[in-house]
Amino acid sequence: MTSRLRIEKQEPDPLHVNCQTEVEVKHGVGLHARPSVTFTRLAKSFPCSIEVAVNGSDVWLNGKSIIKIMGARIRKGSILRIRADGILAEEAIRALKELIERNFDEEKKHGRTA
Amino acid sequence: MAEPLRLKAKSASPGIASGPAFLAERPGASPAPRTAGGYGALEKAIDISIGELERLAEGADAESRDIIDFQIEVLRDPTIAEATGARMEEDQNVVFAWVATLDAYIAELEAADEEQMRARAVDILDIKNRVLGALAGTPIADFPPGSIFVGKDMEPSRFLAHDWSKGGGIALFAGSTAGHVALLARAKSVPMVVGTGRFSAVEGDPVSVDGNAGAVVLKAGGMLIPPLAPAQAPAGDTQTESGELRTADGVPILISININDPAEIDALDPATAGVGLMRSEFSVTSLADAANEERQLAIYRRVLEQAGDRPVIIRMLDIGGDKPLAGLEDLPALDSGLRGIRLLLARPEIARVQARALLRAAVFGKLSVMLPMVTFPDEVDRMRELFREEAEKLGRRALLHRMPPIGMMVEVPAAALMLDTFGSAAFFSFGTNDLTQYLAASTRDDIDADADKAAPAVLRLIAQAVKLTAGKPVSICGDMAGDPSHLPGLLAAGLRHFSVAPARRPAIRSAITGLNADGTKAAGE
Repeated sequence: MTSRLRIEKQEPDPLHVNCQTEVEVKHGVGLHARPSVTFTRLAKSFPCSIEVAVNGSDVWLNGKSIIKIMGARIRKGSILRIRADGILAEEAIRALKELIERNFDEEKKHGRTA
Repeated sequence: MAEPLRLKAKSASPGIASGPAFLAERPGASPAPRTAGGYGALEKAIDISIGELERLAEGADAESRDIIDFQIEVLRDPTIAEATGARMEEDQNVVFAWVATLDAYIAELEAADEEQMRARAVDILDIKNRVLGALAGTPIADFPPGSIFVGKDMEPSRFLAHDWSKGGGIALFAGSTAGHVALLARAKSVPMVVGTGRFSAVEGDPVSVDGNAGAVVLKAGGMLIPPLAPAQAPAGDTQTESGELRTADGVPILISININDPAEIDALDPATAGVGLMRSEFSVTSLADAANEERQLAIYRRVLEQAGDRPVIIRMLDIGGDKPLAGLEDLPALDSGLRGIRLLLARPEIARVQARALLRAAVFGKLSVMLPMVTFPDEVDRMRELFREEAEKLGRRALLHRMPPIGMMVEVPAAALMLDTFGSAAFFSFGTNDLTQYLAASTRDDIDADADKAAPAVLRLIAQAVKLTAGKPVSICGDMAGDPSHLPGLLAAGLRHFSVAPARRPAIRSAITGLNADGTKAAGE
């Protein structure tokens, strides 16, 4: 059910770039509902496409889809590859990576677990 | 000043009512809300739902807000649009495409290993239904209780949404005594006349509807209308009745009632054998409701709990043909004029939702399911198979359910003649309105004129068919059963179970005590 409809375009547009990163999830219970909401909300704030692959899988999931992200069985210790394509791709990758490294800002949220 | 104007009309439901006129805007001026108009309608319903959830989130505690945030995020999920769009391209109606997409996610979550994931299924179920509710749209504007509805025609959903307990009546310029609103009006004892021809009236002018004589009286100018007797409240059965009813020669007879919505079951008094016919299409009045399993479950459950240990027969949606379902115009099956079970089998996504709701409701009482407009035995077989499949799915999801007996309406002459070949039908119930129409090749408008002339043929057909029922339960739920003049013929045909509109029950009951089981008059009557 993954859709990869986009055509790779490598035009000399400084804003339109491909970007990828890898990051380990350290959050105690993985990516359950609340962290997933935080993640997809942030992803949706960028115009570029954002895709996620878990633990070396070659299935790329839509990073803006709560259903795909929640269904991906992301746990503590999972390695996420995140790639972005399009306008503000670099910024998107940086922001998402930082969010994961900050543990989805869970500590700020009443210190509860999902 | 002008004299009161008395217009001749056809009586569609007996009784007399007076009240201020309510002028319905002309049909077309305000089209009934369409529940399915392509993806745009769904997008709008999703937006409405998000707005509702955002308002809910304000002032909610942190825990609830998490859940609401999650639900909003699901509604904004881009893959939902993709999956729903793909289903629509496969010729699914937008409402059912939405349901199928969300049901797939729900099933995925329910099958998850972790409790935390499984617990989210209900959140998605909730938004599925919230969007369906938004798709159903705002109900058609109601009119003041106690007023006389004046218009060209009336939508059944408008009749159902209105509070008739304050009296009032209906005068239609056109309309038909065989129309569905007429049927509802007779069931609820709302005086109604049709075919008055267009007349001018001023909103709020006093108007009287005389459903006994067939007339409308308009106050013209400042003249007072001659006082008419107030509308008779449906008396119900004030006289005490023993639970058991017998003919004069001692043969037990059952009388059940026909209902159209759960509220009518309040009329189910102890002397009633049960609900012989609940027409589900009057409770499930839009495509969005037809797609809403939980809503249907709640309706059926309420009826079954009210009925207690008495049997309730719920008829599956009899839609198509002249029976509307808002939004159904978008279903391709309708172009071919399909109705009843043929429409349900052609659009199984409708039937499957209703089957699940009925299977789940069955645990709350004595439910039987009746199939509308059956013509051939394989139609019953195929619907039973659909019920089996849905029961199996419910079983896998560990949802409580029970397989109800599945019987059929006998309202197509070909079925009536061949009843012995319907091995898989658990019971039979004669629907005389359609049986008469198809037997006499009447148009829907000519039914009344033809009904009396066609009655002997209908009675002969019923008598033959009853002999072919192989001991299975058989009843009659059509209008003929509510007319005392046909009782002798129906008794002679071998019928012992009559299901009638609640308002007709006292008359039928008293008529039966004066007749022998063979339909002859009891001595001394």
